[in-house]
Amino acid sequence: MKSTQYSEKTLDHFRNPRNVGTLEGDDVAVGRVGNPVCGDIMEMYIRVRDDRIADIAFQTFGCGSAVATSSMTTELVKGMTLDEALAVTRRDVADALDGLPPIKMHCSNLAADALHDAIKNYRTGRKLEPMSAEEIAGAGTGCGTPAVAVVEGIGDYPGRGVYTAVADTSQLADKRVLIVDKGVASARLALALTEVTPRVIFLTELDALGLPDELATQVKRSDVKVLFQSRLAAVRGEGEVEKVLIHDLDEDNDYELFVDAVVLLGP
Amino acid sequence: MDREVYLDYQSAKPVDPRVVEAMLPYFTERFGNPASLHAVGDRATAALDESRAAVAAFVGAQPDEIIFTAGATESNNLALIGYATRAKREGAHVVISEVEHISLHNIGKYLEKSGFRVTKVPPDRYGRIDPDKLRSRITEDTVLVSVGWASNEIGTIQPIPRIAEMLKGTGVALHVDAVAAEGLLPIDMSAVPVDLLTLSSNDIYGPPGLGALYVRKGVRLAAVTIGGGQENGLRSGTENLPAIVGMAAAARVAADELPRESVRLAGMRDRLIAAVLSTIPDSHLNGHPTERLPNNAHFRFDGIEGESLLLSMRDKGIAVSTGSACSSKTLEPSHTLISCGLLHQEAHGSLEFTFGRFSRDTDVDRVMEVLPEIVARLRRMSPLYETR
Repeated sequence: MKSTQYSEKTLDHFRNPRNVGTLEGDDVAVGRVGNPVCGDIMEMYIRVRDDRIADIAFQTFGCGSAVATSSMTTELVKGMTLDEALAVTRRDVADALDGLPPIKMHCSNLAADALHDAIKNYRTGRKLEPMSAEEIAGAGTGCGTPAVAVVEGIGDYPGRGVYTAVADTSQLADKRVLIVDKGVASARLALALTEVTPRVIFLTELDALGLPDELATQVKRSDVKVLFQSRLAAVRGEGEVEKVLIHDLDEDNDYELFVDAVVLLGP
Repeated sequence: MDREVYLDYQSAKPVDPRVVEAMLPYFTERFGNPASLHAVGDRATAALDESRAAVAAFVGAQPDEIIFTAGATESNNLALIGYATRAKREGAHVVISEVEHISLHNIGKYLEKSGFRVTKVPPDRYGRIDPDKLRSRITEDTVLVSVGWASNEIGTIQPIPRIAEMLKGTGVALHVDAVAAEGLLPIDMSAVPVDLLTLSSNDIYGPPGLGALYVRKGVRLAAVTIGGGQENGLRSGTENLPAIVGMAAAARVAADELPRESVRLAGMRDRLIAAVLSTIPDSHLNGHPTERLPNNAHFRFDGIEGESLLLSMRDKGIAVSTGSACSSKTLEPSHTLISCGLLHQEAHGSLEFTFGRFSRDTDVDRVMEVLPEIVARLRRMSPLYETR
C-alpha cells in the first residue's frame, strides 16, 4: 500500500484538522515528541479540569498521517479522564481513522506519545519551556568539570577542511560551513561568514543560544542555521572534509550532514 | 474539480500519440520475431535495424553501439555489473557520484558484496560534481566511473564533457545515466567520449518497459542476462519489437523538437521559480541556479513537510513530487538532497515540479493560485516555523 493511499476519513482529518493550535494558562500542560530528523515533531497541549481533559490542541511538523492521527487523537480524548486518555492506543486511533497504511503506523505513535508526555508533565508539574538564561549559564558551570568530547577524525584534516582559526573569511566563500559553538567569538564568525556563503550552520549543545541578548537576536535574524542540542561526533571524508556526524543530544541519535568545512575555534 | 495539472514528468510521461500510432501495426499485422528466417521475420529484422539506427542517431552513435534493454534500471545493471565483472582483473574499484538514482546506489552495494571497492564522490551544495574532486578519488585500481548527465530530482546538470575528456585515455571507463537529460539537452556521443550511456524510452515519451545502453565500440561487457544471444549476446530475450519501434519514433520526435521545446520548458520553469521565490517567504531553490534541466524546479519551504504539501496539492488537482521521507518506501529522505548538505528537516520540506511536453503556461498560474496559501496553512500548524 502506498503512503498516499489514505482512507477518506484520514484525508478528511488531514484537510480539516481539529483542534490545531496552542493553549495557555496555569492548568495547561505540554507534551513534545518526535524528531525533525525522522520528519515529525508533535506538540500536544492539554487543559485539565477535575482530572479531565477539558481542552486540547496540537501543532505538528509532519506528514499527512501525523496530522490526521493528531487531529483524531484530540477528538477521541477530549472529555476523558487522564487515566482513560492514557489507555488510548495507537491502534484505537488508527481504527477510528478506518486504518492507516502499514508503513505509516509509526506516525500514529507520535500523537499518543505526545499526549502521554503532556499528561506526565501535568502530573509532575513540569513546564516545557525553553531554558532560561540563568539555567543555561548554570549548565556550563554547575556540572563540575565538563567532559572533553572526543571528535573522531578531527585531527585528520588539517588544512583540508578543518579550521581552528579563520583569519580571512573569503577562504570559506561559497562553502558549506559548520561552526561549533565556542561562545561569542564563534557566533560573530558565523555572522561574518554569512557575507561570503549562504550556508553557515552553528552547532550548539545548548537548547537556546547562550549568547548576549543582542548577539543572539542577530544570529536568529541572520541566515545562520542553528542546530540546538547537537554535538559534533565525527568528521569524515576521503582526503578532505566531506561530511560530519552529528549527535542529537535530545534524541540520543546520530546523523550525517554533508559540509565542506568545519570550524572549531581554538581556546 | 479543476483540470488536473500534471507536473511530475520525471516520474512518468505519457506516450506521445504519434509514438502510439507508429507502434500499433507492430502488435498486429507487422508482428514477427527478428530471428525467424521467413519473410515475416525479415520484416521484423528490418524494423529492428531501422529503429536501432534512429535511437543511435538520437545520441550521435553508430547503430551497432546500441543495445536494447527492458528499461533504464536494466541498462544501469548491464553497464556497471557487466563492465566491472569483465574488468575485474585490471582492478576492483568503482567510483559513483553521490547524486545518482537509487538504482545505481544499490548496484554499487551489490558490487561491494561482489568484492569491489566503491567510492562515492560528494557534490557541492548545488549538486554538482567537481571534476577535480572526482579525479582525486581515482586510484590505480579504478576501472569505472559513473556520473549521471543530470539529476532527475534536483535537475542539476553535471559537467559531463569535462569529466569525459579528463578520463579519456586513462583506461578508466565512464558510464553516464542520461535518463533525466535525454530529450532536454543535446547528447552527442561523437563529440563526448563517454563509454556507456543509459537511455530510457518513456523519458522521451516512448513506451515504458524499454531502455537502451549505448556501448562505445571496443568497450567490452559481460552479459548479465543469459539466453539466446540477442543484442550482440549482451541482452538475451526476443526483442520487444513494438516497444523498440516506439522508442525509435519517440527519439525522432524528441530530436526534432528539442531545440524549441527546451526553450519553451525553460520559460515555464523560470516563471515558476521567480514567482515562488518572490511570493513565498522562506522558500529556497534546490539545485543549481543556472546549470539545471530546462524542465525542473525544485524548492524547499522552511518549517513544513513535503508529503503534507504533496497531499494538499493533490487536493487541488496538482500532481507533484517530494524528496520527503514520508513519501518514500524506506522513510528515508532523498539522498540527493542530503548529499547537497541539507538537514533532514530541510529535505523533508521539498517539492519538485517537472514540466513536460503537455505542460502549459496556465499550469504555472494554477500552481501559484494555490501554493502560497497551502504553504501558509501548513506553517500555521507547524511548531518548527516562526517568522524571523
